[in-house]
Amino acid sequence: MALADASHFDRLVDFLKQKRESVTFHDIIALAEVSAQSLQSFFQAMDAKVYRELREIAGYIESMRHEIGALQVNDLKNTRIPAAGEELDAIVQATEAATNTIMECAEAVMAADAGDPAAYKALVEEKMLVIFEACSFQDITGQRIAKVVETLQHIEERVSRFADVMNAKDIDGFLTEQERERAERKEKFMLHGPQLAGGGVDQAKVDEMFP
Amino acid sequence: MAVDMSMPVLVVDDYNTMIRIIRNLLKQLGFEDIDDASDGSAALSKLREKKYGLVISDWNMEPMTGYELLKEVRADPGLNKTPFIMVTAESKTENVIAAKKAGVNNYIVKPFNAQTLKTKIEAVFAE
Repeated sequence: MALADASHFDRLVDFLKQKRESVTFHDIIALAEVSAQSLQSFFQAMDAKVYRELREIAGYIESMRHEIGALQVNDLKNTRIPAAGEELDAIVQATEAATNTIMECAEAVMAADAGDPAAYKALVEEKMLVIFEACSFQDITGQRIAKVVETLQHIEERVSRFADVMNAKDIDGFLTEQERERAERKEKFMLHGPQLAGGGVDQAKVDEMFP
Repeated sequence: MAVDMSMPVLVVDDYNTMIRIIRNLLKQLGFEDIDDASDGSAALSKLREKKYGLVISDWNMEPMTGYELLKEVRADPGLNKTPFIMVTAESKTENVIAAKKAGVNNYIVKPFNAQTLKTKIEAVFAE
């Protein structure tokens, strides 16, 4: 972009050459007028550039507002995530209740006196029936897990889209002190939790390490 | 060396169901004196109050992990000879190596069966 009209400067140079010996107040005013004319196009160009940049920033902010809206953070925070948490709590409770029922049955059978075969058989049959009933938790649990998985997919889709559109870069560090402490504890005490198939060593491999 | 079934055994796990499972399996094997603790620090207190012949501990517990418990036990002159079996879902090689280095007598990966527990206890007392 040309900062100023060059012809105006040529006029200034000519003017100064002619008036080198006797410059009047009127000449100074005329000089200022020529200077102002020469810078007019510069300010016009600058105005247009600033305006264009501000418009781009406004467009970016508007697009960011749209993308943040598309994340549906309030729906996630107030509805979906708490609902998923409740489903997981229900899964833990159902599994625990079923395990307790099954173990109680097993313990009752193990502690029973087999001296009276008929009574023992009746007890075993009764307890087996209770075990079958307790196992029905798995159907409900499966449905609950499906709901949690759906929520995770919902979040994943939105977060992925947001990250792509915003060209987001990860920043190192932790959001809270508790998060940092948890991560450090995991690292220090090697708390990896259960591994998926192939992720850890099996009992046979462990046995090789304890000959 | 035969396993002395009358010796007290301490089971350490933060999950009640797992304590119940191990208790029942130990009873089936013939053990009668079985106590439990829900984390490493509770276990350490019990170990300093009563002489146990065997510790069977989980790894991932709060506030004190089974790994820390193992190191505390091995660092205590009054406890350092106590046989210690780790029963855990932590199945990364680095965990097994770290536990072995810290002085664990054997290592069982969850989920496990009665036969594995029996074999490991026998192996520890055959050392």
